[in-house]
Amino acid sequence: MREVYVVGVGMTPFGKFPDRPYYDLGKEAVVKAVKDANVDKREIQAGYVGNVKAGMAPGQKVFKTLGMTGMQIVNVENACSSGQTALNLAYSAIASGQYDMVMAVGCENLTGGRTSGEALAPDQDDIEGILGNVMPAIYGMRAKKYMEQYGATPEDLALVAVKNHKHSSLNPYAQFRNLVTIEEVLASRMVAEPFTLLQCCPIADGAAAAVVCSKEKMLQLGAKGVKIDASILVSGLFKNQPSDLTVPEITQRASRLAYEMAGMGPVDINMVECHDAFTIAEFLYYETLGFCEKGEAASFIRSGAAELGGKHVFSVRGGLLCMGHPLGATGVAQTVEAVWQLRGQAGDRQIPGAKTAMIHITGGGVSGMDNAACGVHIFTV
Amino acid sequence: MSGQPTIDTNEPVFFHPDLFVVPTNGEAPYLLGYKCEDCGKVWFPKLEICPECWTDLKQITLSRSGKLYSYSIIHIGQRGIKSPYAVGYVDFPEEVRIYAQLAIPHEKLKLGMDVEVIEGVVRLDKNSNPVMLSYMFKAVE
Ligand SMILES: [Zn+2]
Repeated sequence: MREVYVVGVGMTPFGKFPDRPYYDLGKEAVVKAVKDANVDKREIQAGYVGNVKAGMAPGQKVFKTLGMTGMQIVNVENACSSGQTALNLAYSAIASGQYDMVMAVGCENLTGGRTSGEALAPDQDDIEGILGNVMPAIYGMRAKKYMEQYGATPEDLALVAVKNHKHSSLNPYAQFRNLVTIEEVLASRMVAEPFTLLQCCPIADGAAAAVVCSKEKMLQLGAKGVKIDASILVSGLFKNQPSDLTVPEITQRASRLAYEMAGMGPVDINMVECHDAFTIAEFLYYETLGFCEKGEAASFIRSGAAELGGKHVFSVRGGLLCMGHPLGATGVAQTVEAVWQLRGQAGDRQIPGAKTAMIHITGGGVSGMDNAACGVHIFTV
Repeated sequence: MSGQPTIDTNEPVFFHPDLFVVPTNGEAPYLLGYKCEDCGKVWFPKLEICPECWTDLKQITLSRSGKLYSYSIIHIGQRGIKSPYAVGYVDFPEEVRIYAQLAIPHEKLKLGMDVEVIEGVVRLDKNSNPVMLSYMFKAVE
């Protein structure tokens, strides 16, 4: 397999843009990424486009008016992991030698057409969805169990939102840029116990893109890319039997494969963008990704380790909690952040001397499955 | 009448006959599991073959009660269900975990509590009339 590098990235700000269709957002991200890579758009040989809600052939609608037609375009729907799935396909296309330079794109508009005040639910042909289950409650049940098992408090969980808002206040691409206190987090409107509104990621629109190429191509361009050391995508196991919901099995499995592929361990990782859709999620991923022991998440965050200036900075762009989660776009936007950080271009939120980054995404509510799909990538410079 | 009972009557829909049985003789309702005769695993809801062995599954009656593994109280929920409402996962002795709404006063909810299957209203129309009946869990007295 060949070495694979990211040589250009770009994204739109994340926020609520009901009047900007997903393809408009996608075009902005593609143009930015191609310009950042400083390549001729005609050199892009394929495009992998993550999107969940738009329906048929969204990638063609992104590329068609950019003069990037005729090439292979693959549309990718894989729930919350659609963006990282697009990246994984781009990786495979380069690593295998199929192509020399391709793009991974994620684009999504969730606000155009959706009524707020209702929680995102599993599909209505899904038995738990029919009986009233919603995403915040699925994570809420994990949180209740975790809190009971390890004595974590609502204040402990709120720290994740406080930290991620602190980070996002430094990120001009974030939807929320305000600072919040523990008291404000806990006093916000109750969504699904134990989560208040500020502990749930907001809906958002946005797009991100990355130009991915082989080492040979990169050298030929004279570019200095960010290497993809691991690219893993797995699906959830179907299981009706009782299991420990405080150990997200799919994430454990995907991250072990990623560490093995990169020949690294948690100790080597400077920053992590994880699937912090709810505050409890960051706690579970500190532990499951191997950054602290089971039950130690509260002391891990209280030590400052996960915060800008700490040893393993989590959600430095503000995470899903402050960026929002435009489903198809998130995985590619995590890639953009990793690349900016590793190139030292992250402005006020730069992690000094960052050399390694992990991005993790998981999700998709399917009854009987931990999550539908989970992606993990590791990048180095 | 028309032969299309769910369209022109106001009777709530019963969900779902191969998961849940409410005996007409007044006996307590129960859930149905689907057991693999090769590996012994029990599945819920209904499957035709075992996902692991691809062996045909045998319908069994699940225990009427289980233990509440975890729960949440939903304050911003789905349309058609009056918020706040409690939901939870219940672990049955047959080694199967089942999600449902909880007909339990919220202040009485406790992880690990014993709960049993009942029939209840799981969805309402916009005038708050019941439109769907199904299984729920209540506290064992
Ligand atoms: Zn079997």
